[in-house]
Formats: sequence, structure tokens, C-alpha cells
Amino acid sequence: MSDVALDALERRGIGLSVCAVSHAYRGLKALEGIDIEIPPGEVTVVVGPSGCGKSTLLGILGGLVAQEAGEVVLHGDPGADCLNPLTYVFQDFALLPWRSVAGNVSLVLEDHAMDKAARAARVAEVLALTGLTEFADAWPRQLSGGMRQRVGIARALAVRPAVLLMDEPLSALDAQTRDLLLDEFAALIARTGVTTVYVTHNLPEAVRLGHSIVVLGRRPGRVREIIRIDMPLAERRPDDTALMAIEQRLWALLRDDAAEAARELA
Amino acid sequence: MLQDRRVPFRASGYNPQTYGAISLLTLIATIALWQLAASQGWISTQFASSPEAILQSLRNLYASGELWEHLSASLQRLAIGWVIGTITGIIFGLLLGLFSIARSSGMALVSALFPIPKIALVPLFIIWFGIGEGSKIVTLVFGVFFPTVINTVAGVDAVPRGLIRMGQSFGLRPLSIVAKIVLPGALPSIFAGFRITTATAIVLLVAAEMIGAEHGIGAFVLQAGNLYATDDLLAGIVVLSLLGLCVSFVVGQLERVLLRWR
Amino acid sequence: MHITRRGVLATSLAAASAPLIGRPARATGMKLRLGLLHTLSPAPFYMAQARGYFEKHGTPVEFVFFDAAQPIAAAAVAGDIDVGVTALTGGFFSLAGRGTLKVIGGGLHEQKGFQLTALVVSKAAFAAGLTNAGKLGGHSFGITQYGSSFHYMLGRIADQGGFDLHSVTLRPLQQIGNMVAAVKTGQVDATMIIASVAKPMADAGEVHIIGWVGDLVPYQITALFAPSRTIDSRMSDLKGFCDAYRQGVADYRRAFLEPKRIAADTDAAIADIRKFIFASDPDGPQKIREGIGWYDDGAALDVADVRAQLAWFAQQGMVKGDIDPEAIIDTRFLPTR
Repeated sequence: MSDVALDALERRGIGLSVCAVSHAYRGLKALEGIDIEIPPGEVTVVVGPSGCGKSTLLGILGGLVAQEAGEVVLHGDPGADCLNPLTYVFQDFALLPWRSVAGNVSLVLEDHAMDKAARAARVAEVLALTGLTEFADAWPRQLSGGMRQRVGIARALAVRPAVLLMDEPLSALDAQTRDLLLDEFAALIARTGVTTVYVTHNLPEAVRLGHSIVVLGRRPGRVREIIRIDMPLAERRPDDTALMAIEQRLWALLRDDAAEAARELA
Repeated sequence: MLQDRRVPFRASGYNPQTYGAISLLTLIATIALWQLAASQGWISTQFASSPEAILQSLRNLYASGELWEHLSASLQRLAIGWVIGTITGIIFGLLLGLFSIARSSGMALVSALFPIPKIALVPLFIIWFGIGEGSKIVTLVFGVFFPTVINTVAGVDAVPRGLIRMGQSFGLRPLSIVAKIVLPGALPSIFAGFRITTATAIVLLVAAEMIGAEHGIGAFVLQAGNLYATDDLLAGIVVLSLLGLCVSFVVGQLERVLLRWR
Repeated sequence: MHITRRGVLATSLAAASAPLIGRPARATGMKLRLGLLHTLSPAPFYMAQARGYFEKHGTPVEFVFFDAAQPIAAAAVAGDIDVGVTALTGGFFSLAGRGTLKVIGGGLHEQKGFQLTALVVSKAAFAAGLTNAGKLGGHSFGITQYGSSFHYMLGRIADQGGFDLHSVTLRPLQQIGNMVAAVKTGQVDATMIIASVAKPMADAGEVHIIGWVGDLVPYQITALFAPSRTIDSRMSDLKGFCDAYRQGVADYRRAFLEPKRIAADTDAAIADIRKFIFASDPDGPQKIREGIGWYDDGAALDVADVRAQLAWFAQQGMVKGDIDPEAIIDTRFLPTR
């Protein structure tokens, strides 16, 4: 990641409350009575076995899934230059193949009244931030998976979001790319201070990024435990014993549910 | 006893390529053989012209200005009919692709009307739209419209839903979602439709020019047929075939530019 | 009597090889297929058939009906018929010019005083002043096809009326039904329609008749023709056929064209014609009386008229190359005018 002035991006996170949210899918209770406080500027990681409804929860936060009961409340004003307070980063990147890297990033900006220079400046800024400047004119098909997800991040940051909703953003990538991007995410989040909700089933990711880790159980999805990690993101190392202990604890919590989930028909 | 054997390569074949030179050579050889057969008297030229005679006929048509007279009339009909049919077809296709009510009623109509041979409707079109350009253009529009609708709907269906959800998650306006996500996503399928509709339009042109047309390649071919002017007839066919090649080339180039992201 | 197998073989071989050796003479007794339009115009053929003249001359005839003139010529070239009677179109001359067809006898004439084909104009065009044939220049005109007899008749009217044929917007409509509909709805200013259809339309005020082709440009509208193949291989059949045809024409003239005709002759002729056309139409007799056209005595061929037609088509560029009129006419079968 290159060093660019981040004045505009810094300290823009705002808090989020999830109050008694329930959701049912085809008559099955998927989520029941979810209460989570998401503090401003922090990373809240949601982990759980497959089928626990963690992606559904993210969908409810982003307004893409209608909950059955409960509500999601945003605290405070995201600011005038925020074009989309709750902004997604997708597992499959969701890039438009017919737009260049820069075109994908400016897609949302084009929908808002903004002079050309300002739009170009914003695009250039986030491309620099994600190390994509030299790929501005490339087609998505020409990029590796990791570069594509960087475009996804750049597109999200370009709208100056209040909350980033990241739905397993690394699970479509190979292990090495995943490690590299994970560090970049950590640095970006630390620098921009954007509130982040990060859904994953990968426990090393959870302890690397989470200020708090929400563990969901399955059938119905309930909050089983919330674990706080107060170590600053920049100081976290993969071989840190405290973090490894937390990872062990998470695995102990999830293990039985995960084994059960693996034996189930989709 | 165990014996050492070299492992053979087994994955050959089943991967045909197109060699441009062979394609061209085949065409040239066919024409040369035809000319040879005609000039050697192996085939009677009484009712099957030689390539030379056809070329001569084309030269005469060009020199007399008739060629351009017929070609410009036909091109105008083709252009107007195809453009109207394509634009209305894409608009209808988008509506059918996006809205349940439009799809339910529209698809029923399209499925019912698409298989009708448009040529059979020409006399009816003449009564409704007059004997002049109206009925000819409507025949083309009708022929182009339905395949375009069907390909556009298929194209809209093929747009990954995830991309549309992405647009919604970023709060894009519905019109932006259609213009920037749905339409470009459906474009490959729409272009596949262009290849069909341009060829259909040329076929229908001849049918449309059958009735009441003074000028036009189709009218010229029919007139030559009526008069058993074999050279002229085949010269007209050659022009139609070249027209088809040109149109398909233009569509191909357009595709290369607009779909270069693929 | 003993018939040996060898003897039978010998006779049948001889019979089979006879035409090959080119010994012409005797009739084969095989049916001759005559291509014709299913209209009233070939009435003398209907009479000859009904009265058994073809059998009597040793050439039984099978009628093959068509609904347009051009395909008859094509069918003759293709070998689907052995002889044909139809209008001499541009397509006909084009085929004949390649040595495949020959005109061998006369047929129906557009003749002064016979109302066969009406020159019809739409109500709007009439109201706008298109009241006689000389004013057709600059108007639209419905025909079946380029090179059809309608096209030819219009060309002759243009020559006579002193207007330029190229100033007329020709509308090829493929079918006579389309021509009727087009002039009725005013989509063309004028066209030509046969009397039996044109008169009721004019009486109903749907169109105006501004002249009759027979009065404006009398000519030999149909002719008898045969492919060279028939002439070469079935000469005597064709001669027998033509003799029977002459007899049919003689009866036809006696029944319809003689000034001092006997009513019984006419009625008998009508009855015979109705075996082939208007059979179930109660107005049949009336239609036949009104639709009767001129046939020359002896089914004579108007050679000069054939030449004039060929010259016109060549001059219009519809028949390519220099076609020698003599090469497409064979006068060995029937008299000439």
C-alpha cells in the first residue's frame, strides 16, 4: 500500500446497533434474537459454522435481506461526502467485467452529482491506496483474484462509507494471496478508521482483524459468545501466543457445530 | 516379466481450428472449378451461368448505374427496418427480462407470434401499411423484432444476479442499474441475436420486395427470375451474398469493439 | 398361333428403338400433356377435348392446369408438359431464345369489340382526372410481374397514347387478386382486370373502366407453343394434336363468332366448355357468353405480332441478346395469318 494523504478518509466510522434481529428462511429459524453493539471505528468479526446465518446477518445490516423482527440502527451522521453509509465488499468481488478497474471504482460516483475533477480525484486516491494506480485501465479478467478484490475494496472506499460490510472477502483466494491481503486490510482499516463488520469462517482471519469476535451457533443462529481482543491491529503477529490461544478457544466453541454442519445436505 | 513402456500422448484431436487460408482457397477453388466446367462444356450454361458471365452481368449493372439504384433502395429498407426492429426488440426484451407481469404476458405473445412465417404476412401488411415502403419496412421490423426480444430476454436472464445486488447495495438508481449493469451484461446475447437478425433481414428483404417494389436487389432478383435472365438472377444472388458478408463483417467488428472486455 | 419368346422380344425392341432411329411418321398413341391456364381463354381446347377430337386424331391429351403463365413455359422446358398454350411473356421469349421452345400456332386475340381485359382506374385517380389511357403517364400501375402480358399491354398503350412508359410507376404485385385489391383500395392508380371481375366492380362504383385492351391495342395475347423436344421426337403426335385443335377452333368460331350462328350450336358449345370451367357456377353460361374472345380461322398464327412482341421485349431490355424470330417460330403445324 502506498502512502497517501488520508485526511479525507480518516476517522469516519460510526457505530451500529443490532437489536433483537430474527430471520427465518423457508420456515426455518435462521437467526434468533441477535443483539450486537458494533462500536465506531472497530472491526467486528462474525464467525460461525456454515449455515449459521452469518451472511444473512450481514445482508440484514446492508439492507439486502429483510429481517423478520428487530432492527438495525446507525448512530450518528456519516457526513456529506459519504455516498453509501453501509457498503459491501463481496466474496466473489462482483466487478463489472465490461468496465475497467477505474470504471468499476467510479461506477457509484457517476450516480451522484459531482464534478469530473472531484470524481477523478477520488478514483485516483483509492486506486493509490489499494496499489492499483498502474492497473486503472485494465479489464477485470486480466487481474488475479487478489487484485480483483483490491478493486472491490477501492470501489467500497471510494464512496467514503461509514461502515464496511465484508462478506468472506478472502475465501475465493489462495492461501498466500489471502495472507498478503489480510495484512493490507488491517493496515487500511487502521488508517481509515472505518467501522467494519467482517464475516468469515476462517479463524486466523478473525483473530488477525477483530476487535471483537461474535461467535454464532447454528439452528437457530444465536450469539454464543463475544470475545474482545484489545491488541492494536498493527501489533498482531501470526505467532503471537495470546492470539493463538483465542483461536484455539474459538475452534473449541465451533468444532461440534462445524462437524454437524459438514454432515448435512445442502 | 515387467517391461518398460513409454507413455504415449493421448489427448489429440477434438479441437478443430479454422485456417483462414484454407477457407479462402476453398471458395476460390470452387469458383475456378465452376468456371472450368462451364468453359469446357461439362455443364450446360443454358440455364446455369458461368462465373465469367455473372461477373459480366455485374459489370453491366454497375456501369448502367442500376446496381446502385437497386442497392441503395435495399440498403435503406434494411437499415430502417433493422434499426427499428432492433431498438423496439431490445426495449421489449428489457421489459420482459425485468418485470414479472411484462414477462408473463409478453412471453406468451412472443412465443405465439415468433414462429409465424413473416413472408406469409406480406399481403396482409400491404393492406395495413400500403404498397409503398411501409409494408416492406414493417415486414423487416417484424422479422427482426422477435429474435431480438428473445435474445435480449435470454441475455438479461444471464446477467449474474450478484452484479445487480451489488448495484443495489451501493444504492444505484434503477435506471443506472439497467443501463450500466443489465444492458451491458445482456449485450453478448443481444449481439448473438444480431447475427441472426441481419441474415433474417436480408432473407425477408427479398420477400418484402416481391410485391410492389420498383427498385431493390430483391425486386431485381425476382424480376430476373421472371424473365429467366439467369446471369442477372445469379448476379443478384452474388450481390445479396456479398451484402450478407459485409453486414456480418460489420457486426463482427462492432462486437470486437463493444465486447472487447470479454 | 405360336408366339415365341424371342419373337416378342424382337418386336418390342423394334418398337422401342423406332424413335431413336428417327423414323418419324406414325402416332405413338401416348398421351400428350397440354399445359394451360384454368380460365376461359383456352375454350377451343376444352371443346376439342369434350368432343373427342384429340382421340380421333390419334393423340389423346391430358390437361395440366397452371395458375400463371410463366410456369407453363418453365414446365415445358423442364419436361413436365409436352405442349402449352399461354401468353407470350418476357420469360417465355428468354427461354425460347435458348432454343428450347417454339411458337407453333395462334391463340386468343385481344380484338376490337371484344371486351376481355378492362383498363381500370381507382376512384381517386379517376376523380383526379385519369379518364383515358393517354393520361397514364406519371401514375402508378399494378401488374403481376415484369415481362408479363400486363406489362406488355401497358407498353403498347404507352406507345399508342404517346406517353413514356418509364414515367409510369410499375407495381409488380405477383397475383391478379393483389391487383384487384390494390386498385380498389387506391394503392395503385390503375391496372388491368378481366371483364367478368372488372364490370361488377365498376357497376358497384368501386373502380372506373376507362377502356378495353382489345379496342386500344388489339394483339394476339396467347399462342400455342411446344418444346423442341416434342417437335423432334413426337412430330406426328403434335400434328394430330394441331389438327384436333383446328377442329375445336372451327367449332368455337361456329358457336360464338359467326354472325349467323345457330343457338343450338352455342348451347352445345357452352355445355362442353362447362365440363372444364364454371361447372358448378349457375352463372356459367352467362360468363362464357360474355367472356368469349377472338380466335383466327384455322387457329392461325399471327407471325408479325409474335415478331412485334419479341421486338418490344428486346427493346425494353427484358430479353437479352439477339434472338432470331424465325428460330423461335415453327409454321409447319398450323396456318399463319
